[in-house]
Amino acid sequence: MIFGDRTTGVIVQGATGNQGSFHIARMNQYARSVGGRGVVAGVTPGKGGQESAGVPVYDSVIEAAYAHDASASVMFVPGAAAGDSIMEAADAGLELVVAITEHIPVHDVMKAVAYARMAGCTVIGPNCPGLLSPGEISMGIMPSHLSSPGPVGVISRSGTLTYEVVHELTRAGIGQSTVVGIGGDPVIGQSFADVLDRFAEDPQTKAVVLLGELGGNLEEEGARMAELPVVVFIAGTTAPPEKRMGHAGAIVSGGEGDAKSKISRLKALDVPVASRLSEIPGLIREVL
Amino acid sequence: MKLLEYEAKAILKKAGIPVPKGTVVRSGEDPEEVAARIGEKVVVKAQVDVGGRGKAGGILMADSRNVKEISEKLLSSSIRDVPVRSVLIEEQIAIDHEYYLSISIDRSTASPLILFTSSGGVDIEEVARTNPDSIRRVTVHPLLADVPGFSIRYLLKGAPKELGPVINRLYHVFREHDALLAEINPLVTTPEGVFAADAKLIVDDNALGRQGISENRDLTDRERKAEEFGFSFVELDGTIGVIGNGAGLTMATVDLITMLGGRPANFLDVGGGADRVRVAHAVRLLGSMPGVTVIIVNLLGGITRCDEVAAGIIEAGVGQQVIVRLAGTNEEEGRRMLDQHGYRMLDTMEEAVAAAVEAGR
Repeated sequence: MIFGDRTTGVIVQGATGNQGSFHIARMNQYARSVGGRGVVAGVTPGKGGQESAGVPVYDSVIEAAYAHDASASVMFVPGAAAGDSIMEAADAGLELVVAITEHIPVHDVMKAVAYARMAGCTVIGPNCPGLLSPGEISMGIMPSHLSSPGPVGVISRSGTLTYEVVHELTRAGIGQSTVVGIGGDPVIGQSFADVLDRFAEDPQTKAVVLLGELGGNLEEEGARMAELPVVVFIAGTTAPPEKRMGHAGAIVSGGEGDAKSKISRLKALDVPVASRLSEIPGLIREVL
Repeated sequence: MKLLEYEAKAILKKAGIPVPKGTVVRSGEDPEEVAARIGEKVVVKAQVDVGGRGKAGGILMADSRNVKEISEKLLSSSIRDVPVRSVLIEEQIAIDHEYYLSISIDRSTASPLILFTSSGGVDIEEVARTNPDSIRRVTVHPLLADVPGFSIRYLLKGAPKELGPVINRLYHVFREHDALLAEINPLVTTPEGVFAADAKLIVDDNALGRQGISENRDLTDRERKAEEFGFSFVELDGTIGVIGNGAGLTMATVDLITMLGGRPANFLDVGGGADRVRVAHAVRLLGSMPGVTVIIVNLLGGITRCDEVAAGIIEAGVGQQVIVRLAGTNEEEGRRMLDQHGYRMLDTMEEAVAAAVEAGR
């Protein structure tokens, strides 16, 4: 597994909002079922001293990290304050921030990711469902009941599409090491290539599924450099150009990054590309 | 959201980038009076955001005698199917050379990207095809407030130094206005100095609020209504209405429909936490589209309540057949409710899409 395990202590930023408190409960339910530490503290400025879903809330990340042994944060803080929250976590010395929030202004994301990088903090997302290592840890909002532990890593720009694929793999008897949602925005903290580098160092992972979309060329960059065998699926082959279909990052501009040409470039690199989701387990079996 | 030329130029001017003297004119306003304040010879430019505006007759030279006629004609026309609601009347300027300058976002490095070339005045994509080496590019560290001098020197190698301040000022505009793209094409040198002869600014939709923009002009009426309900909606051109949760899953559903020979009518991502009210709105929205003969609902999620979703579909009461694939909690209850009302619930995405394509023939 990568990015975290049962010993990781997690802080939730935006702990007292609806999203935050609901998911603290869910993450801790999962932690209890696998024997992990789970969410140890929450942060909402101004609500220090309160409690949310059974964990103590602090006014700042530095106070929470000081009081508990935590190295990671899952962030639910909305829009305009989200970039600042990422920087706060990096500044407090956390190693990892999983940014769930969507609709963060892209300029804030650029600055926060650059700042975090300088502080040695890895940012996953934003606009992502988080990550899940079956049997170890859930940092985010992914439903765990569709997953099972095993040798396949999954890296995805999507939310529910990821669950669909994880479900397919589990049903086919193929378990997952870590499922990482890298997020649907045009600027993200960890690209496919970054996460593939981590999987390459992970003894549990033997192959990786990349779930991409139209927009940009991160899937090709990742697949090109991958040390492990990869199987790719690209959503949005029928999306009209210049129209944004939901994800801020799923827009084709300047003639680059439309799904069909991505797929041909990947095939030219000899990377197996599934034309529909149900083909993924078969292609994975071939490379395992 | 795209800004119109005159809006972008107003921003550039305020930031210290010279623009030709000009005023925007709408139907019912007096073009002659505006032109008189500018000069004898003017250029009348349709304020529409379409490529190749000039070639399509959207940029016309005029003088005091015919500016009224030319303006009124443009204002009552369309350029590439986009109605012209305003024109910019500008002074004509004597151009020595045309350059291209833009700032956008480089996804690989997650940084602002500056492109500059001395081959300005043409489509940058064409230059990228025919003369890529002429395009100078640098990325700027996102935490820098100014473009470093060494980057400006690199960009301008061989080009006039007077263009330097424009690069830095455009960078400030790019950051302060939450721009996805800030483009000056052409950036021109003239005997009177440097001018931005055209300007394009695209503002991040996620930042419209803090930019003081209350409504996204780029959406169609249906798309705007959908946004109010919290969904993402894009109209396509087919017979099968699509509702999904999650952009990736919804796009994959739309793709699969096409792969199996069907024609999707739209993309609609109902978002997380689909409740009966939202689902009913979504189904009704698709039901109201004249070309839609069947609707597929593909919702997957650990916390999605299938009985809630079923209730929403039933409440919407549309005439079209609704084919449903639901996975979440209370699946059996959801299935029972849907069966009772003659809606079909299938177990997997592929089965549901195949059924929808069949029904949509």
